[in-house]
Amino acid sequence: MYKYDTIDQTLVDQRVAQFRDQVARRMNGTLAEEEFRPLRLQNGLYHQRHAYMLRVAIPYGLLSAKQLRTLALIADKYDRGYGHFTTRQNIQFNWVELEQTPDILAELAKVEMHAIQTSGNCIRNITSDAFAGVAGDEYIDPRPICELLRQWSTLHPEFAHLPRKFKFAINGAKEDRTVLLCHDVGIELKKNAKDELVADIYAGGGMGRTPILGSLIKQDVPWQVLPSYLTALLRVYNRFGRRDNLYKARIKILVKALGPEEFARQVEGEWTHIKNGDDNFTQAEWDRVTMHFTKPAYKQLSALSKQHIVAGAPEAERSAFARWLERNVKPHQVSGYASVILSLKPHGTVAPGDATVAQMKAIADLSEQYSFGELRVTHEQNLVLADVEQSKLLELWQAAKKQHVALPNIGLLTDIIACPGGDFCSLANAKSLPIAKAIQERFDNLDYLFDLGDISLNISGCINSCGHHHVGNIGVLGVDKDGEEWYQITLGGEQGNDATIGKVIGPSFYADEIPDVITNVINTYVEHRADDESFVDTYRRLGVTPFKEAAYKNAKKKDKAEVKSESAAS
Amino acid sequence: MNKHIIRFPKDGQPSLAANDWQVWDGERDEGSIPDLEHGFTKVLVPFHWWRSQYSAHHKNADLIERANKGEIGVWFATDDDILKHADIIEAGKALWPVVAAHFPIFRDGRSFSTAALLRDRFGWQGEIRAIGDVLIDQLLQGARVGFDAFEMRPDQNLEVGLKQFDLFSITTQNSWRQKRTLLQRSLLEA
Repeated sequence: MYKYDTIDQTLVDQRVAQFRDQVARRMNGTLAEEEFRPLRLQNGLYHQRHAYMLRVAIPYGLLSAKQLRTLALIADKYDRGYGHFTTRQNIQFNWVELEQTPDILAELAKVEMHAIQTSGNCIRNITSDAFAGVAGDEYIDPRPICELLRQWSTLHPEFAHLPRKFKFAINGAKEDRTVLLCHDVGIELKKNAKDELVADIYAGGGMGRTPILGSLIKQDVPWQVLPSYLTALLRVYNRFGRRDNLYKARIKILVKALGPEEFARQVEGEWTHIKNGDDNFTQAEWDRVTMHFTKPAYKQLSALSKQHIVAGAPEAERSAFARWLERNVKPHQVSGYASVILSLKPHGTVAPGDATVAQMKAIADLSEQYSFGELRVTHEQNLVLADVEQSKLLELWQAAKKQHVALPNIGLLTDIIACPGGDFCSLANAKSLPIAKAIQERFDNLDYLFDLGDISLNISGCINSCGHHHVGNIGVLGVDKDGEEWYQITLGGEQGNDATIGKVIGPSFYADEIPDVITNVINTYVEHRADDESFVDTYRRLGVTPFKEAAYKNAKKKDKAEVKSESAAS
Repeated sequence: MNKHIIRFPKDGQPSLAANDWQVWDGERDEGSIPDLEHGFTKVLVPFHWWRSQYSAHHKNADLIERANKGEIGVWFATDDDILKHADIIEAGKALWPVVAAHFPIFRDGRSFSTAALLRDRFGWQGEIRAIGDVLIDQLLQGARVGFDAFEMRPDQNLEVGLKQFDLFSITTQNSWRQKRTLLQRSLLEA
């Protein structure tokens, strides 16, 4: 993975010093909270319900064992013994003290980490495929471009105060694992006919209050000119994106208002003036970065069949091991190797995406033992050991079980994506975590979960959609009505190449109704599915009606708004 | 009005200087330039007002006379689309010693793009001044995109402001002042 040189290291060290001074001015009262707020946000520091929360960047999801140990140290020394991995390849610490944050950032800087631009109205941490460089279906390793653009966007002065946050995702595989179309800018890498690396640019995607999938605005942009093209794009947004209404300030609203063709035309017009300048990447810059993304020292191994791998386990454990292989182990580019997903979604015991200090330390050890000391964070909030020898899978499974990160539920109903919700977040309208817990407890039967197969269930505690509910096959959104917590259900959302925004099925439910609602929806699927048909395919074939009827079958309370309008009518 | 500004020439050092440009918001005095405050001799007028006074159909003789004496500059509001008025700005190069771009609130970054365009697209060589809600922590960003003078909000500590410009010895993208560190180094090596 990428290693800092003195340029990168100096920059993060100087950023820590700058932030230390900003915090000192806040503490001595010369910097007002309202004016400190955007400054701390641009360094990942939120003020939450109970305390400050620090969001640390894990650029495009890559993490070393050493870095994970530092995250464990921070959780131990400055927080309450755990961290929360997020849907955007960051980690959050929920209980930090303002005056200690410069020291935390200094600890991070020692291991080439930072919290730069993990929040605020600027270019955020760039996300990518958690299986970059190893995925069987990859045609371009996106990591060099991710790193080049990370550097280009870091402390970019012109785009420090955009109308709203700005998120990049970059993909280079056949299957999109980045939710590319739900980003302000999605960069799809490919090779052109001359075998040169080029990018297709999608703009104007996003979740939130107005979920929109991005539109293709430019094809075949040579990698070298990405800085000038993105400067043109961001300049149009910076100048003309709305600033009068927080909820209409994302680029998706501008692209929608102008139309994708007109937006693309304006970007093109701006780009014409700057496309030949020296903002663009040089071959030397490419070489400086790419040298770090070489393949690790793989052994020459022959591929092992699943039967062979399973046969290595003691007889009593074979079926459990086989399940784990089926759900949590993914194919690799290199013969004899596999990628392993460690599930941070135990049933009903901790928040989805949480890892304790002990787990972080143990997982760091596992990465050194089995995967060249590197890890990845997925946007589904799990961890990946990307380069595991197939012959070591059994050992790794047994070790992972001891850390409670071996539940074979990847891609199943209980692999829930959830934001921290109202338990922590001051933006949330409702809690997410108790809903996730209740669903995991209701569906705690692995046989049944396996039978159901691939289903994504995503929960957001408010319309900001950090829990990606819009693209869950089943989405749960917390809403506030007259001070009470209600939950709206969407169905049919999907991430990946067929990305789809789910549809709201109707009035919302109370929290305690949700497990029954999910059960009724799932039962409808089981009743109607054909052969191996997945949940989302059955939903698409049948449409919303049978699922909706089932969901409201025994709803004991009606949506308040409905009750009110009914009583007004009567 | 702040009696002092921070001046930071492209190839120089930041320092404090007396402020001799009064900013007129265009609102008062029934649309004509008001009497200036004591100590001020020059005035920055709103760009939209300049356009109303200096067109093919109407030229404000008093304004032109003062402009010819070097006493008039313009300031751009965040919603002035400078690219739509390229001809006026080109003509202004010979008339305005100073232009300014306004920050209605510190977290509105539109004027960063205005300054970048003035430097890159128009090749503006004169002073570009940041006015309005200009705070300590915007100075460095402003200096990089093209501003070389800052009239800060009066409550801001100018001494702390002066220390903001050399916080980073490294940059990872080009700016008006200098190329990114890597490019500088490779240019030196070449």
